[in-house]
Amino acid sequence: MAVVSLQAPLWRSIAAFRFASLGYAAILLVIRHDKYAHWGWAWAVLAGMTTWTIVSTAAYAVPERRTRSLLAADVIITSAAVLSTALVQYANSTRIGVMPVTATWLAGPALAWAVVGGATAGAAAAMVIGGCSVLLRGGFQGTALDGPIILLMAAVLVGYISTLTARAEQALQRATEIEAASRERERLARTIHDSVLQVLAMVQRRGAEAGGAAAEIGRLAGEQEAALRALVTGGGQVLSLAGELDLSAILVGEASPQVSVVTPAEPVLLAQRAAEETAAAVRAAIDNVRRHCGDSAKAWVLVDDEGAEVSVTIRDDGPGVSPGRLAEAAAEGRLGVTHAICGRIRDLGGSADIDSTPGVGTEVRLRVPRSSARP
Amino acid sequence: MTLQEQPAIRVMVVDDHPMWRDAVSRDLADAGFEVVAAVGEGTQAMQIAAAVRPDVVALDLQLPDVPGVDVTRGILASFPPARVLILSASGEHRDVLDAVKAGAAGYILKSASRAEFLDAVRRTAAGEPVFSPGLAGLVLGEFRRLAASPAPDTPRLTEREAEILQMVGTGLSYRQIADRLVLSHRTVQNHVQNTLTKLQLHNRVDLVRYAIEHGLGSDRP
Repeated sequence: MAVVSLQAPLWRSIAAFRFASLGYAAILLVIRHDKYAHWGWAWAVLAGMTTWTIVSTAAYAVPERRTRSLLAADVIITSAAVLSTALVQYANSTRIGVMPVTATWLAGPALAWAVVGGATAGAAAAMVIGGCSVLLRGGFQGTALDGPIILLMAAVLVGYISTLTARAEQALQRATEIEAASRERERLARTIHDSVLQVLAMVQRRGAEAGGAAAEIGRLAGEQEAALRALVTGGGQVLSLAGELDLSAILVGEASPQVSVVTPAEPVLLAQRAAEETAAAVRAAIDNVRRHCGDSAKAWVLVDDEGAEVSVTIRDDGPGVSPGRLAEAAAEGRLGVTHAICGRIRDLGGSADIDSTPGVGTEVRLRVPRSSARP
Repeated sequence: MTLQEQPAIRVMVVDDHPMWRDAVSRDLADAGFEVVAAVGEGTQAMQIAAAVRPDVVALDLQLPDVPGVDVTRGILASFPPARVLILSASGEHRDVLDAVKAGAAGYILKSASRAEFLDAVRRTAAGEPVFSPGLAGLVLGEFRRLAASPAPDTPRLTEREAEILQMVGTGLSYRQIADRLVLSHRTVQNHVQNTLTKLQLHNRVDLVRYAIEHGLGSDRP
């Protein structure tokens, strides 16, 4: 498995608990030696517990060895150790609540079951071992149930945590797989896009040279090439965390064989409204070129990010208009250009200049400030 | 044409698509250029550059084995007189900009017409920068990005250079720019070339600084 196991720390804690509780059991055995009828045999039980602690810790450390038989053996051996208390301790001491030989060590299997099988399995193991403890005390009187109930709660809690980590582990694994797959898909897409672009560019070039019907095919290939290139380089319009849009990514969508969109390599981020309004103004300017200069006129859109402001220049090589004509049109109430372009940009606190020379073409320059866009 | 009298311009074509490699080679040969090599891999191109001594390398950036930037750098390292003309289909912005910073002399899209392409090769051989509007936009953008850097030795554009790059970016020819600004064609060309040289120089300084900072250039082990 490529993903780091999130359950490994749980197993390490259980191992640590087993060894620590083993030490606690040994200390209790020393302090309470007067409660034991067969102190020597009690040490023998402790030696057995020590052996099992070492064996089981080594076994649980390897995921493949966490088998049902190991878990079953864990419960059986631990239960036997709990019940052996009846043979080595004074019956009186046991009844008044002296800890069994195992002391808290008896919780080990319940925790192991919980990690492997979740809360239900943990609870089951806790009840078996708790049952042995109750049996040893000879009934439910006094504090006999306290230990088993705490054991049950601990097992359920650890089981719940274990289920959560298992689920998190799966999710992480899935995310890693998805990431690897999408990286591979991206790589393939880049190669395929490049190949398709190569072919389209070739068809366009050959078509234009052959003329006639082939020229039409070449023209169509050119349109598709521009559209695909825009798609590849634009990479979609994703709203950034700060609510900004990349103006370049929006504008490359306007590229066609007649319209070149020229942008920097870095994204040109503008507040969403400013980006959308600027793009709308650019679209209006391009429509204007189509309407007044015909389909054959070429246009260039240059995006220049000057830091404090972003400027977009739209130039065409159409026939151009005399400077008075625009003002005349505005005066006559034909507000198309002025309103669609200048109005939008002025609302953003920017400026729009239209410069046109008959015979040379028209140049529209939009300047949009970064900070002072009115909300 | 006086191509017969002077030695033909030597061109190496590097493109992994056989279709393009053949078409470009044929176009060049038909127009009187000498195609000294046509290869499909970057490694191969870098290996033979010094042996075939091309005046111009027409290089596709998307090669299967080595990134185009590294091929540009490798060719120029083994045969410095070569001039690299980037010929790209996808126009991946970052790749083009990096290749130009690594020393490429120009960039045109593959969808350019045959005449535009041949003209670009001719101009590259003559030492003129081939600035498509797209490249002007990238170079302008790179200077704008660098302008935000506080380091004292970052290259800056003069007002005139910025103005000229903006004009190239909106599709104006050097001739048209010269007319508008009342300058000579040659002066416009020099301004454009200057912007490119500044970027390439800065790139080289950056590389050297990186090497020194990482101990690659010192004598000590």
